[in-house]
Parts: sequence; structure tokens; C-alpha cells
Amino acid sequence: MATQVLVPPLGTTVDTVTLVKWHKADGEPVAQGEPLFAIETDKATMDVEAPASGVLRQVTAGPGDAVKALSPIAVIAAPGEQLAGPAPGVTAGGAVAEPAATAAALTAAGRAGGDGPRSRIFISPRARRLADAHAVPLVALAASGPEGAIAERDVRAYLEARPAPPVTPVARRMAEQAGIDWRQLAGSGPGGRVGQEDVSRAVEALRPAPAVVSAVNEAVQTIPLRGVRAIVAGRMAESTAATARVTLTAEADASALVALRQQLTQDGVTVSYNDMFLYILGRALRDHPNVNASLEGDAIQVWRRIHIGVAVDTERGLLVPVVRDADTKGLLQLAKETQALVERARAGQSSPAELSGGTFTLTNLGMYGIDAFTPVINLPECAILGVGRIKQRPVIVADKVVGRHMVWLSLSFDHRLVDGAPAARFLQRVVQLTERPHLLLA
Amino acid sequence: MAIKTIAEALRDAIREEMRRDPRVFCIGEDIGIPGGFGGAFTVTLGLSDEFGHERILDTPISELGLAGVAVGAAIGGLRPIADVQYGDFLFCCMDQLADQAAKMTYMSGGTVKVPMVMRAPVGSTRRGAQHAQSLEAFFTHVPGLKVVAPATAYDAKGLLKSAVRDDNPVLMFEHKVLYGSKGPRAVEGAISAAGEVPDEEYLVPIGKGIIRREGRDVTVVGKLLTMYRALGAAERLAKEGIDCEVIDPRTLVPLDKELILESVRKTGRLVVVEEDNLTGGWAGDIAAIVAEEAFYYLDAPIKRVSAPDTPAPFAPVMEQFYVPSEERVIEAVKYVMGVGSRE
Repeated sequence: MATQVLVPPLGTTVDTVTLVKWHKADGEPVAQGEPLFAIETDKATMDVEAPASGVLRQVTAGPGDAVKALSPIAVIAAPGEQLAGPAPGVTAGGAVAEPAATAAALTAAGRAGGDGPRSRIFISPRARRLADAHAVPLVALAASGPEGAIAERDVRAYLEARPAPPVTPVARRMAEQAGIDWRQLAGSGPGGRVGQEDVSRAVEALRPAPAVVSAVNEAVQTIPLRGVRAIVAGRMAESTAATARVTLTAEADASALVALRQQLTQDGVTVSYNDMFLYILGRALRDHPNVNASLEGDAIQVWRRIHIGVAVDTERGLLVPVVRDADTKGLLQLAKETQALVERARAGQSSPAELSGGTFTLTNLGMYGIDAFTPVINLPECAILGVGRIKQRPVIVADKVVGRHMVWLSLSFDHRLVDGAPAARFLQRVVQLTERPHLLLA
Repeated sequence: MAIKTIAEALRDAIREEMRRDPRVFCIGEDIGIPGGFGGAFTVTLGLSDEFGHERILDTPISELGLAGVAVGAAIGGLRPIADVQYGDFLFCCMDQLADQAAKMTYMSGGTVKVPMVMRAPVGSTRRGAQHAQSLEAFFTHVPGLKVVAPATAYDAKGLLKSAVRDDNPVLMFEHKVLYGSKGPRAVEGAISAAGEVPDEEYLVPIGKGIIRREGRDVTVVGKLLTMYRALGAAERLAKEGIDCEVIDPRTLVPLDKELILESVRKTGRLVVVEEDNLTGGWAGDIAAIVAEEAFYYLDAPIKRVSAPDTPAPFAPVMEQFYVPSEERVIEAVKYVMGVGSRE
């Protein structure tokens, strides 16, 4: 009995992953537990082990293909085993379907014209596109088009007859604003629930195709939007479209922080400014829980625990590993954990768990000489702090111009969750702790 | 603003261009002879009174000769408007048009221009197989020629003026049934293509099509006579709840491809109607473009409605059968809508 090779499910938010490579070729023997193929998902690349021993057969997906979680992409058969048809005939149960049953299902979907049984489904390209977009099983469709082919209206009729999927209030509002019928969307949430991401995707799909590239602005490289890049693109666009983003900036005198770090270094404790800001944020968030929050569905969740994501630039794109319980950890521990997380992210070895579950994000562009910027909120979080460079500047202290180490702090927050004054008070607290780090002991 | 027929609108265009530019002249058979027809369909009637016989130049019955004169005059700096009495006679001038006029600019690296217009009446009008053909596809096939096919008086005037001013050879196909010619040259079964034509100067750009009727179910492309067949069919189909979008490309080369593709992306269905024979016709080319560039938007096979692959018959009843009718357009639309059978 052949065993199906399924794309593993990876958390509730991931429904499609990119197949990176096969470690075994079609027809090659494999042993159970051997790495069989690699996928890229949710900002990490991982190997999937062979579910059984035998011969790899009927491989239906190749490197670079987007594959759906739990979809069959090959089978592992006993040597010399007779297989019935390629993978589309494979059922979710794990066994290979009887060829007769498949043929019967296809025949049942045959034409209205009554030309006898047909060996395959005829469907217009337009109808197929729509059916694919909504994951409609073709065998379930009537065929009213020319010569008994399935036409677009048959898919639409099926979609309309299908009970409306559950929908989150935010997604529903977004869809109504964009003039999109959310009932027609394929929900990627639990139980097929239509969420913000689904609506964003639909909005994206509605945009007109880009005009033909003219000779004067010919692209030097065409980069397919997949993997990390696709996730970054989707999240950024969704965040920009969905949040009521306000950025507050404040200048802080970091001279005491600079001096503190020098003393720590002298005493053998090596930490970065980023670690120090992580430490400050953990403590400041404890006093301002309304900023340590997420918008989930139609409710604001204010979190008890403080998990801070740290934006990391990697070869594959932006990754945000999360430091758990940042408010309870010492400075040196934060430094060690962050360093380990960053190294794994850069090596493409982060686990999905390391890359999710944040309640606030820290992004630091100081090392690039950036003074201030307007960070994009990492949904569904409420806020993100951007740290600029620390630079010595002339400032007036007690009517005298003196040189001080100054830093710009940029807080982007979602005005839907929190108002300007409480957000300003939080930033004020961060400035205070930056300027007077001894208060961290108080 | 006055209501004009296509023949009148073309005459106005020629008159205005000849007044504007002394290099413009007409050359053809029986286009300015006193007491003559003013061209086979009265387009140049009376123009020799104003411009004289040197600029409304009558030639012997030699299409090869008059086309050669036109090509040479254009290369030499004049702007001829040549015409043949029936498009079918263009075969006589094929070398002058396809080998000389069309390729001269290319072969001279752009130093030689051939700013000529060749007007040619097309369409089957009870005159027999050698005075009946629709020749558009022969010329859309030749690189270097522009090809226009106006179906209304407004477009006829505006496109002819644009053609005279264009530095490339332009073939202009006019339909006999649509001229609105009067007197002894009136055509049986004529359709009125007359319409309002502005008194003030205007041009219709070469290369721009137009949506004659908006609709959401099926895109129907027709030109010249078949544009009217498409419109007639659309009105009848509307009563049955089928909403056709009718597109008149007006220019065949360069084609306003995007207009057609955009429409098919909306409707998902395409019917192309033309009077030429089916095989190797212009309709097949439109179908190919849409199949290549809008395949995933198609919800039904593309349907061509053309004349059969036979010479145009002389017998009126057979001619009626030969030229695509509104009924055939309706049948094709119903087929692509999935409510009719394959023809």
C-alpha cells in the first residue's frame, strides 16, 4: 500500500509554502525518517522527513512551486508496486483511490449535452481561474457553457450556493470598503474564516496588471514574489492598509546610557545599544500595558507577558525573531538570547515558533546613520519603536552649548488601539529611562 | 454640423486637404471627367471644377499604371490620393503597393517616404465575384502599409485627412453599401452610414478603435458593413437579455489591440464578424491575438462569422447567404453564451 507524501501543516496562519528542493529524485528509494524535501515557510526553511520507506513516485511539485499545506505532492510506494493514476487521484485518507471511482466522479460531472461519458472535465480558462482561486472542486460543478463545458457562471453559481464563510468583523469592514464580496473569498483562518489577509489578497488581485514594460524602463531583474519576500510584501501592505498609523518622534539625551555601556564594557559585560533598548522597552511596557496589545478580530487583547520582536536584516529579507518575556530577563541574558536568535535568523534556521507571538517590535537603524524614521507596525501588534543613531550634538544645557550624545526615538502606533496621549506617555517613559537609566533600578 | 453621407464626408476631406496643401492631388479612373460619375461611387464628383484636371487626374484603365504614378509621385514629394473603382483591382497593383510602396522606407533606412493614400471600395453588392471581395487581410499582412476601414461618415472624413498627412502608404477600405452614393451610382440594399460631421477641422487618429455599444456578456468585433450587422444583432439580442459590446477597430494596422483585449477581459467571450472568406482572414488574426494574450479570461471558444470559402456569388439570394447576416451573428453569440449549438 502506497503512502502519501503530504506538505506538513505549520501553524494556523500558514496555508501555502514554497517547495525548495527534493532531496530524493522520483524513482529513488527512501527510508522512513530521511530528509525527503525542503520547504520555505513563515520565514524559515526546513526539511521534511519521509513518512515511510519505499520508492518515491508520482512527484507532482517541483522546486519553486507554491504548495498547500496537507496537499499530496508524491507517494512512497513499495518497489514494483502498481499505482493507480498520478497524485490527483490520491485521497486525503492516505491510500490511493480506486481508478474506477475517480473515473466515475469525472463522468458524473460530465456535460449537460448528453454526449455520453467523457474522460475528462472541460472547463473554460476563465472558469478554471475562478475555480482555482476559490479552491472549488471541479467535479462538483454543473456545466452550462458551450458544448457542455464548465463556464464562469457555473463556478459563480456554486460559490453563491455555498454557505457564507465565517468572517472577522475587520475583514468584513475592509471588504465592504473595497467593494469586495467577502462571501466569495476563500478563508485561510480556522474553519475557513475570512480574515484581513484574505481581503488584502483579494484587493491586491483586483489591481490592474502592470503595463507592458517599455524599453526605457526595462527591468534588470525579475524577482518572483515568494518565500520571505512575499510574506514581507503581504504583511507590509496589509499593515499600511489596515492600521491607523501615527508616528511620534522624540529626541532623548543618551549620554548617561553611553556612559553606562562604557562602564559595563570596562567591567567585562559586553552588550549592544539594541540590548539596552530591549531592556528599557521591557520595563517601560510593564507600566504601559495598553501599548503591549494586539487587535484580534473585534477585540483588543492586552497582553500580560511581554514578547519583543527584533527586526533583523538577513540575506533572505526582513525577519523578526521574538525575545520572550523581555521584561523579566537581565541585560546579559537578553544580549545572549538576542544574539542567538539573530544568528539563527541570518542562517535561515529560525523555527516558526521563534518568529511568531511577539507583542511589540523593536527596529534599529542607528548603525546605518539613520536619525529618525516611520516604522511599519508588525501586525497584529499595536506599536513598534524605531531607534536612530546615537550622535554627539551641540545642545543647550543651563544656557550653555555643550556636546551630548543624542538619539531620536520613533514610535509608530495603531490609533485604532490606543490614543495619542497614552502613546505619547509611553514614549515619554522610554525617553526618561534612556536619559536616566539609573531609574531602571528603582 | 451637418448630416453627411460617407461619400460626401470623403469629398469634404479631399477638398479640405487639397486646399490646405498644394502637394495633394487625386488620381484614378473616371474621377473628374465632365459628365462622369466622379469616381465609381461619386466621391470626387465636382472636385475637378475647383481644382482642375491636373489635380483631379484621370488615367486610362490601368491600375498598375496609376498606382505606379502614385508611388513615384509620393517618393518625389507629392501626396497622392489614388483610388481604384473596385478593391478587387488592387491585385493589378500588387507589386507597386506590396513590393514598392510598403518597403521603400524600410529599404532606404528611412530616407525615402511614400506618403500616398490608396482608396479601395470593398464588399459584395450584386456585381459578381470580381467586384465583390473584401481584401483587408491581403494588406494587413504586408508590413509597411497602414490600413484603415471607416464605417461612419465622421470616421471616413477624419481618417482620410489623417491618412493624407501620414508619411506612410495608407490603404483605405470603404464599403460600397455604406457610401450613401446617389443618382445612378446608388447601391441596392444600401445602409445609411450618414451622420453628423463637424464643420470645423478635426482628425480621427490612425490606430484608435472605438466601442460602438457597451455591453457585459460578449465582445463582438466588426468593421465596415459587419459592424452594422453586429450592432443590429446586439439590439435584437438585448431583447433576450444578452448584452453585447460592439467594437469597431476603424484602423486595422496598426490595430488598437488593447481596446479589444480589455473588452474580452471584461466579457470573457469573443465573436469576430467580417465579410472576407474565412480561411486566412482578418478575423482569424483577431482570434489569435485574443487567444494568445487573454486566454485565461476566455469563458468560451472564440467564434468567427465570415463569408464561406467561395467566390462571392452573383445571384442575389446566394449573395444574401454569403455575406454574414445578423442572424448568423446572433447564432454565434448564442453559441458562445452556451445557449446555442455549434454552427
